Amino acid sequence: MTAATNSTIENLADAPAEDRLAAAVGIVASQFPDRTAIVAQAGSDARRAIDYATLAAAIAKLEAELDATRPLGIIARAKRIESLVVIAAACGRQHVPVAFLAEDARDLIGELRDWVPLDDSLAIPEPANGSYQRSEFEALPAQVVVATSGTSGPPKLVEHSWDSLLAAARLAEQWHGLGWLLVYDATRWAGLQVWLQAVLTAGRVVVPASRDPDMVVKAVCEEQVSVLPTTPTLLRRLIASADRSLFAQMKLDRITLGGEATDAQLLEQSKELFPTAKVTHVYATTELGEVFRVTDGKAGFPADWLSKPLPGGLRLSVRRDGELLVQLSRDTTEVATGDLIEKRGNRYEFTGRRGDVIVVGGAKVYPKRVEELLRTVPGVADARVYGLPSAITGELVAAEIVMAEPLPEPSTPDQVRAAALAVCRERLEPHSVPRVLDFVKKLTVTPAGKIPRK
Amino acid sequence: MNVSAAITAAIQTVLRDTAREAKAIEPSMLLSTDLGLDSLDLAQTIVLLERSLGVDPFRSADPAAPRHSIRTVSDLIAIYSTALNQQ
Repeated sequence: MTAATNSTIENLADAPAEDRLAAAVGIVASQFPDRTAIVAQAGSDARRAIDYATLAAAIAKLEAELDATRPLGIIARAKRIESLVVIAAACGRQHVPVAFLAEDARDLIGELRDWVPLDDSLAIPEPANGSYQRSEFEALPAQVVVATSGTSGPPKLVEHSWDSLLAAARLAEQWHGLGWLLVYDATRWAGLQVWLQAVLTAGRVVVPASRDPDMVVKAVCEEQVSVLPTTPTLLRRLIASADRSLFAQMKLDRITLGGEATDAQLLEQSKELFPTAKVTHVYATTELGEVFRVTDGKAGFPADWLSKPLPGGLRLSVRRDGELLVQLSRDTTEVATGDLIEKRGNRYEFTGRRGDVIVVGGAKVYPKRVEELLRTVPGVADARVYGLPSAITGELVAAEIVMAEPLPEPSTPDQVRAAALAVCRERLEPHSVPRVLDFVKKLTVTPAGKIPRK
Repeated sequence: MNVSAAITAAIQTVLRDTAREAKAIEPSMLLSTDLGLDSLDLAQTIVLLERSLGVDPFRSADPAAPRHSIRTVSDLIAIYSTALNQQ
């Protein structure tokens, strides 16, 4: 990159937020037209690479169509990552609201009445009644609609300004030209954050052909990925079942964990297996965006964050029942996050989501704690704990376990099962001990890459 | 699968999982006093039986259904036999 490009990208922050994506693509396309912006289906024979010049041309074409038709809003129904980038960039600069609906949120399409769906053809369909509702250019707020992941309830649509969507993007030079792995759904908040960050900083978005651990490792190695944003669940799956002999070829500079609470064991394991990577975890919600990130490599966050003012006027507090409360700045209201925290030593650690609590005969069980314990059992590679409905006790604690391969000698599956139950009986209350324990090849994971609890 | 064999197997699994000694199970035995099963043990037994027999008679959709009395092993056998016959 030349110094001129760097300074131009850094100056992006001076442009209106809704213009930045299209502007960034334009800057790179004018100076390095052949530079790869997107690698889709990475790691497979169907791999395709899209350069910045191609992206810029597609954005210009769509912008002209939007300008001519001025739809009320665009629903991005495209499946290809490059189409999503083009739609976002063009809608932003043309002040046309845009909605990204993940598969499980498609039923919410009715809430966006008269918005126009746009698929991979990137051609705005002919309006049924001759013309789209025309609006004054300035009168339309530039906004982005994203569906929540439905971790703690059915998905719902949340409206964001471009400013809040891009608030966490880092434009400084150290972030320029990096390869970012996109394991998240590109239409969800977490996925949007990854590809927006990559394209805004002349980088590459690398989408593996599948979430299969070996495919992910292959994509990272072949496409020189240096930043791996992922959920703890997906990273654990990678560590548990990918070919570890290839890990040395992964040149990761950063692993950014988000979407779920991270535990100390995973952080330690990551440091050991990926010695070149700085491992951080991000606390963010779809409603609030990124709240804070923890860079000291430890689980949870320092306990004194609760008692002191944090950068940007952020204030954290804990309710009597353990729920984390967040006030982003002085002029915003305090929000109950649904995340439960508990003081352990000089840290606050996340114990789970409010809705995740399993209630067994009136007693509360925090599944995350049981999972952490199960993962310490020799022969257990990964574990998921969830509530099973019961007519007798309301719910019952159930667990899925992925066995380590190969099993440590001389263990058999039955011995691993007995050992897991013995550790749980010794360390947990009777109602917290899993009553159903199944061995699975891989854990059930939600579309957002998290552990489902029901 | 034979109902009483399935029930015996489920109870043995519960006893083994909770590190208790296996017992010879007779239909007349009281679940609580003779076998030492508490409500958690019973809940586990029901989940195991749903897997082996394919029914859960305790998850009745009919709110007017009589509340099952489950004191003995033979109560369980009767409830599951009825549920299987109704299928």
